[in-house]
Amino acid sequence: MDATTHKAVRDLRRQAPQVLAVAVTIMLGVALYIATAGAFRNLGGSYAYTYDRLHFADLVATGGDTGAVAAAARSAGAAAVTARTQIDPPLLVAGTKLIGRVVGLPAGSRPAVDDVDVRSGDYLSPSAADAVLLERHAAETFGLGVGDHLQVFAAGAWHTVTVRGVVESAEYLWPARSRQEVISDPYAFAVLFAPQTTVARWAGSGPNQTLAELPAAASAQRSDAVAQAMRDAGAVDVTPRADQPSNAALREDLNGFNELSVAFPLLFLSAAAVAAYVLLARRVLAERPIIGALMASGARRGRLVRHYLLQGLLIGLIGAAAGVVLGVLATSVVTRGYTAALGIPDTIVARHLDLTLTGLAFGAVVGLLGAAAPALTAARTVPAEAMRNATQSRPPGAWSRLVARLHRLPVSGRMALRDVFRSRRRTAATMLGTVLALILVLASAGMLTSMTNALHLQFSRIQRADATVTADAQVSGTDRRLRTLSGVAAIEPARAGQVSAVKGNDSYPTTLNSFVPDTTMHGFRSVNGGWISLPSDGVLAGASLADMLHVSVGDTITLATAHGDTPVRLAGLLDEPMGTAIYADNDLAARVLPDPTTATYLVRFADGADRDAMRRQITQLPGVLAYVDSHALTRSLDQYLGLFWAFIVVMIALGAILALAVIYVTMAVNVVERTNELATLRTAGVPLRRVAGTLATENLVATALGVPLGLVLGVIAARGFLASFSSDLFRFELHLDWWVLPAAAVGVLLAAALSQWPAARAVRRMDIARVVRERAA
Amino acid sequence: MTTSTTTAATDRRGISLRDVTKVYGTGDAAVHALRGVDLEIGSGELVVVLGPSGSGKTTLVNIIGGIETVTGGQVDVAGEEISGRSPADLSGFRRDHVGFVFQFFNLIPTLTARENVEVIVELTGKGDKARVPGLLEAVGLADRMDSFPAQLSGGQQQRVALARALATDPDILLADEPTGALDLATGRQILGLLQRLHREGRTVIIVTHNASVARIADRVTTVVDGRITEERRNEAPADVADVTW
Repeated sequence: MDATTHKAVRDLRRQAPQVLAVAVTIMLGVALYIATAGAFRNLGGSYAYTYDRLHFADLVATGGDTGAVAAAARSAGAAAVTARTQIDPPLLVAGTKLIGRVVGLPAGSRPAVDDVDVRSGDYLSPSAADAVLLERHAAETFGLGVGDHLQVFAAGAWHTVTVRGVVESAEYLWPARSRQEVISDPYAFAVLFAPQTTVARWAGSGPNQTLAELPAAASAQRSDAVAQAMRDAGAVDVTPRADQPSNAALREDLNGFNELSVAFPLLFLSAAAVAAYVLLARRVLAERPIIGALMASGARRGRLVRHYLLQGLLIGLIGAAAGVVLGVLATSVVTRGYTAALGIPDTIVARHLDLTLTGLAFGAVVGLLGAAAPALTAARTVPAEAMRNATQSRPPGAWSRLVARLHRLPVSGRMALRDVFRSRRRTAATMLGTVLALILVLASAGMLTSMTNALHLQFSRIQRADATVTADAQVSGTDRRLRTLSGVAAIEPARAGQVSAVKGNDSYPTTLNSFVPDTTMHGFRSVNGGWISLPSDGVLAGASLADMLHVSVGDTITLATAHGDTPVRLAGLLDEPMGTAIYADNDLAARVLPDPTTATYLVRFADGADRDAMRRQITQLPGVLAYVDSHALTRSLDQYLGLFWAFIVVMIALGAILALAVIYVTMAVNVVERTNELATLRTAGVPLRRVAGTLATENLVATALGVPLGLVLGVIAARGFLASFSSDLFRFELHLDWWVLPAAAVGVLLAAALSQWPAARAVRRMDIARVVRERAA
Repeated sequence: MTTSTTTAATDRRGISLRDVTKVYGTGDAAVHALRGVDLEIGSGELVVVLGPSGSGKTTLVNIIGGIETVTGGQVDVAGEEISGRSPADLSGFRRDHVGFVFQFFNLIPTLTARENVEVIVELTGKGDKARVPGLLEAVGLADRMDSFPAQLSGGQQQRVALARALATDPDILLADEPTGALDLATGRQILGLLQRLHREGRTVIIVTHNASVARIADRVTTVVDGRITEERRNEAPADVADVTW
């Protein structure tokens, strides 16, 4: 090791706490990058493995002659094709009435597309026509296993079936009924797989879905060609894998990891670069006489630059190496924790060498960037001036002269105000640390409060019914019985069903919900912010539909179902946090969904009604086939968001660490720069707490100056972050509760105050005599 | 070692050192800065501690001022035994009894001359801010009170440092190479101020390697290699105007 390298290593050792603070910030940035990017890849790999294993359909076509559609898909290049029947009948599962889903599978052989993974029991058998396979989520929710019984309401009667096996399905890794109901009450949805012949009998018709699997590594053009061939053969709607509800929900969540893997590490690495700059700029300033002597002796500028760059590089690599270790460990933990929490059957944890190398490169780049300006400053040193250590005091600026007039302010207060401009780079670094921490905190906290607000909006102001009751349309008087039930305040007939909204070559599978014209069970929130009524001459739709179908208000779209196509006018666009549904009045919906077998009622309870008692009473009424409690859905959401809340808390804590690290470094440099002043105050007998208090005031002023900018940029970042999560599944608006901004500001100031502690310790441990001696020398 | 020729004085402004040693570091790296120093300085004396660089004179004055602790021996300053006291106690001691002037003025660049003095009153809670203009007037800066250090010459800055040292009305004034960074004329002005403070009754100790400065002292103590090698009394201390170097 040459002398300059020795010096670099020893210099870093002498400033170990500050170097550590910068390295920890780099470590967190690199670890966050590797953990999030690694988890993103692992989870994507885990899903892909399961999808391949179970031959998850690349395309699902509904409607048309499935034989013709299947033939078209094969001839267009599909590797495997399966036709099946799928129905959404009422189910009676462990005493709970709900609208479930029954999917037909070949009883004697495994399906070529959309196979299931039998976790317990056996696959379907031709000899057991009343045997079904129960999807894992439903089995877990209702505590059912092999040999248990449940009932299916189909063809006007209840049919008892027996659970032959519990299965995992690629279609229901996340149990979403549709893209509009990505999050549902687990007690309101269950999936069964029954012999195709049985399901066809219950449906009263043949197959209504055609599933196609494309060859491995098929191009997008091939996929489009097969989809188009299926449409041309009569399919009403063709849903690619990306839009399949479960897959879309999981991908949406996964994309969050992808966003995180760039945005949040960038904050940490930026903060680290600033802190490294402050640290090394101070070192160059302190070493001016040495640099001057070296240059006077003929030292090459390039060597000097390399020397200080080396220090930055070492700091960066120390942090990055620790970050890589932490990141690799965290990747595995995050991946396994995530798949365990969501019950994903396959977990692939791969080692990503490229991420490790990128993480190390990030650390190196951050260190070099932080060191670049100080290194160039060192190389530009004029030897004669430097050896005299002629750091000319700058004459006071306008700010200093202005503050000097504030005679009522204590001198220490005036000193704090002026010091903001004394070392502008240090102040800027403190402010930047504050700004970055606030961005991190507000982006996280903004997600939390916005999600909470969105849920409140969705389930209190938009969806105003307490329960949805599905009844047998052949049983008369259900509405009367419901209305006269004690505890029911209001009921309204409604209707809901799956449709495809079509415009030209664009189509979007969604749900058509209908209400009475002057409904009180649903609020329609216009994209313009106001509340509007159901139109009598058209439909309302979630705002995302306009983007997907390339339509605008006033255009005519087609609602396609197995019963036929119905052209309707798009009368308005709605701003709703969850899903992209279509709304119409009951008369229009009756033309689109002429289903006479069931009737739907929306129910609102009287104040103080016992929800459990209402559930029991309503489900026991004659003709009631299914019951969904809206509040159960919000409870389910709270559970779903549990992981998310944990993530938010971790991010806010990391924001505090970021602020602590940067402010600590600037504070420590402040103490070092002002050693003589502080020592002079101490020799005059100024108590330690007063010296530390003076320093703390100065740094808090610099931190406070960064707060307004941090709050503004934090709000912008939070808005951008939320926008990146918005899709047809979720549409979030930034909503910050009144306390968020003050709490974030106070939190960062507290973090700054906390970071004064090591500085106060440094002042306490200051060897006054040594400072005086060295200065004299 | 030369025995003190003055009367032991541990009253309000007197100083007494008995067999004081100071060692920096340990083992082979140990540096003996002071080796059994005995010194008595009477109340109101002006003493110049003379010695070459590294002789231990700054250590000696730091120990008297309570910013450095002894390895051995006893130190009584202004009627208080200060050897072995805690840093917090020593801080209080300095607040009550001692004022320091350094070679490099160590002014706070963001404060005006007046504020540099006021801040000591404010942060120590000792002294009176109303006295500050008078202190600056006394050191000849009546018209530069609101100037920042960058707007003052070296001599003016040292005068601010002197006013700052007087802000808490100390019994003892310790000046470590107060003229070291100044030219002759400015240095004389500072020495004149120190001499005047002495004449007003304060105990003043000046540390210097400049033998010419010693001519203004009542007494000259020479320190070489951590020991007091000579002590002599000036029967007729010179006037500052007669001093040159």
